[in-house]
Amino acid sequence: MRRLTAMLLGLIVFVTLRPAAGGVALPVRPESVKFAVIGDTGTGDKEEYDVGRQMAAVRARFPFDLVIMLGDNMYGRQRPEDFVDKFERPYGPLLKAGVLFYASLGNHDDQSNRFYKGFNMGGERYYSFAKKNVRFFVLDSNQMDPRQRAWLEEALKQSQDEWKVCYFHHPIYSDGGRHGSDVALRVAIEPLLMKYSVDVVFAGHDHIYERFKPQKGITYFVEGSSGELRRGDVKPSAATAAYFDQDQAFMLVEIGGEELTFEAVARTGAVVDSGVIPRKPRT
Amino acid sequence: MLRNHAAKAYTFGRHHERHRTTRGIFAVLFDHFLLLPLGVAIALVWANQSAESYFRVAQPLAFFVNEIGMTLFFALITQEIVEALMPHGALHSWRRWSLVLVAAVGGIVGSAGVYLAYVNLQYETLLASGWPIACAIDIAAVYYTLKIIFPRSGALPFVLLLGIATDAFGVLVVAARHPVLAVHTGGAALMIAALGIAALLRRLKVRTFWPYLMISGTLSWIAFYREGLHPAFALVPIVPFLPHEPRRLDLFADPPDDDATHHFEHEWNEVVQGILFLFGLVNGGVLLKGYDTGTWAMLAAALVGRPLGILAGVGLAVAAGLHLPRRIGWRELAVVACASSTGFTFALFFATGILAIGPVLAQITIGALATAAGAAMAFGAAKLLRVGRYAH
Repeated sequence: MRRLTAMLLGLIVFVTLRPAAGGVALPVRPESVKFAVIGDTGTGDKEEYDVGRQMAAVRARFPFDLVIMLGDNMYGRQRPEDFVDKFERPYGPLLKAGVLFYASLGNHDDQSNRFYKGFNMGGERYYSFAKKNVRFFVLDSNQMDPRQRAWLEEALKQSQDEWKVCYFHHPIYSDGGRHGSDVALRVAIEPLLMKYSVDVVFAGHDHIYERFKPQKGITYFVEGSSGELRRGDVKPSAATAAYFDQDQAFMLVEIGGEELTFEAVARTGAVVDSGVIPRKPRT
Repeated sequence: MLRNHAAKAYTFGRHHERHRTTRGIFAVLFDHFLLLPLGVAIALVWANQSAESYFRVAQPLAFFVNEIGMTLFFALITQEIVEALMPHGALHSWRRWSLVLVAAVGGIVGSAGVYLAYVNLQYETLLASGWPIACAIDIAAVYYTLKIIFPRSGALPFVLLLGIATDAFGVLVVAARHPVLAVHTGGAALMIAALGIAALLRRLKVRTFWPYLMISGTLSWIAFYREGLHPAFALVPIVPFLPHEPRRLDLFADPPDDDATHHFEHEWNEVVQGILFLFGLVNGGVLLKGYDTGTWAMLAAALVGRPLGILAGVGLAVAAGLHLPRRIGWRELAVVACASSTGFTFALFFATGILAIGPVLAQITIGALATAAGAAMAFGAAKLLRVGRYAH
């Protein structure tokens, strides 16, 4: 009976984790950087908990030790007890396993959330951190003030890391019907991202999943459906490479050597998108 | 040949007529301060048709328009206010101010209170820093709205004073909250030098404005910039040193240009209006899809909070023993309060003065522009209450 149960569980994990037909599997190399991506999570609803459970289940096979949060980490009231209901409980198993969450601020987040220890923001609106050969640049897209922009330029310029990943809340490329691309923000920061060879950008805000064809050499993702969801909100354009707006989702990303491999996983465990992004050559 | 002459005369006449029509259009635009709304309209169409091209032009120009060009706009406003405040000026008597100040405080508390309540109820406290924007009054738009409703009424001086008092408060807040790259020392010394030179020029009875502008004005601008204050207000401390004559209270009247005191105003009036057009063009372009909580907070604050706050303030003042201005009853005051909900120009300027590029600025800008609905609200109120042109 026990053997049968274990076989059934293994089959479930295999079925839920195998990539979609024609998709790419995560290589799961020991030396690679592995992380998950979630956005617009903090509802405290059943769906957020479902995503949290799915992430914990996935971790058995893809042992990520870091999660990047794309903003709107908390919706509604943000008292200490709300952090328990909307963050610590849904991701409890991950937190217990020592997974670190690095958050960016969304429009629904209280600015004081940058002091919350669980978000590892160090009290800053914008910051960067490195994991092996990957440097993450975390921005506050609510207001791109001159100081933040100057900080970003200097941080990008100083970075000698092999991979540069940037993330923030408001997408500068999005086909979400409710919000769409923040073009003013795009004009303000895209030149910097291009100049200093950022490889990939993640953003939330639109409650969908979308992957863009490389825009001026940079691959953009929108992952704002890890708690909230707007079904049918995507109006795909010529720049859309893939999208999913029928259920909550999160992403798994592995960066090793010259390749970034990713999967977008739905709340049910089905892999709805996957692929490989090569590292940009450094000039 | 006669037909040729006739054809030429006809062509000349048509050309002359088109020339007169064009001049007439420009005259209307200039006389009624419509260049800024025109700039905003062009910006909105451009941004929503071809956003990237719009922002690629607008963002680099913003510094030159907002932080250099707009110094002249605030210089002109300051000159008019200074002259009205002088002895024998229309605003010199404190009696005119007392009720207005209470109304202004009521309006500020009402609009700021509603704004902050709204963003807190929506759990978007990030937007809280935008409360000064909700307090702004577009003096020109309100003036012209009420001039149409009340052709001959004590409401016009009242609303001008109300706008001046409210926006003066907003200017103080905005000047200090301008997002800057860095703050440097040495600005205070430069400011002292600027004021010292202006005082010296005044003592030497220098009546041309150029040295005040070029020497003291430049030093003051650098001082403001270095200290992290909004440089658009740099000429405000310098203008009082210019030679002045007391003026009657009609802010947008055309004073006689028979002496050097008004030469500054006449030299720069059309330039300033051109700058206002650019201001509208550079700052008014927002993606209309960018509306969000900040938009509704602005509208609630301006269209509900401010009118109620003004009326509550005046009510308290009257209960304390002050009197309503002559020829203004409570019905007229209600219409004035509705008209005062229009923030437009000043709201747009305060927004760009306090907030950096991003979605917060975008959603609040949409709200600021939409407060132009205050004019419609004023007309509706006047008709409902049967006052002014709608009185029977």
